[in-house]
Amino acid sequence: MKKRFNPIRDKSSEIIEYLMSSPEIPDDEVLQFKLRLSIEEAVENVVRYAYDGGIGWLEADIHFDQDSLLLTIELRDAGTPFNPLQREDPDVNQSAEDRDIGGLGIFLCKKMMDSIEYRYENGNNVLTMRKKV
Amino acid sequence: MEVTITNQESKTVVVLNGRIDTTTVEKFQQDVSPLMEGENPDIDIDCTALSYTSSQGLRTFLMLQKSVMKRGGKMVMRNMNPQVKEVFDITGFSNIITIV
Repeated sequence: MKKRFNPIRDKSSEIIEYLMSSPEIPDDEVLQFKLRLSIEEAVENVVRYAYDGGIGWLEADIHFDQDSLLLTIELRDAGTPFNPLQREDPDVNQSAEDRDIGGLGIFLCKKMMDSIEYRYENGNNVLTMRKKV
Repeated sequence: MEVTITNQESKTVVVLNGRIDTTTVEKFQQDVSPLMEGENPDIDIDCTALSYTSSQGLRTFLMLQKSVMKRGGKMVMRNMNPQVKEVFDITGFSNIITIV
C-alpha cells in the first residue's frame, strides 16, 4: 500500500492515519502503540524539516511479508539530504536541568522498531523501519 | 485531548484524558500553561486516561518539570498505562520526573 502526499505542510496527521488504517497493521493494542509512535516521529521529521516551508512530497509505503512476518514502513521524500540516524542518541541519564529537548523522536523510533535504515537514493531520502508483528 | 485542572487547598490536581500527538499537542500546551505560574507548586497529574504520548508530549512534560523545580515546587505523575510508562522509561524521563 503506497501513497504520495503533496504538499505535506500540515499533513502529518493525514499521513499517520493513512498508514495506521492499513489492513497490514496488526490488531494488537501494544503493537499499534509502538507503530503509531514510530510512524508519528518519522513522519513529523520529514514534514517539519525535509523541505524549507513544507512545500514538497512524501511517499508513504507499508508492506507486510507473510513469510518473515515483518512489517515494513518506508518513507521517501525529495527534501534536503539528511540521515536522521547519524544524530547522536540523547543521554537518558542526564538530570532535568541538563536535559535538552531535541533528538527524542528518532531515538524513540529506534527503540520501538526492530530495525531502522536510511539511504539516499536517486535524489530521495528513504527511511525504512521494520518490525516483526 | 482533555486537561482538567482543579485546585484542592494547596495541591493542584490535573487529570489528562486522551492522546498527546501532533494534532493535539498545541492545545495541550495551552491547556497546561496555567501550571507554569505560581510559587511552590504542588502538582499531581492523573494519567489513568492518558492513552498515548509522542515526543512532543514529553517535551511539554520536561518543560513543566523544569518550571516546577525552578519555582521550588513538586510534581508527581500517577497511574500511567504500561505503554506510556515505557516511553518515559526508554527516554530516561522516569529518572527526572516522579512517577508513582
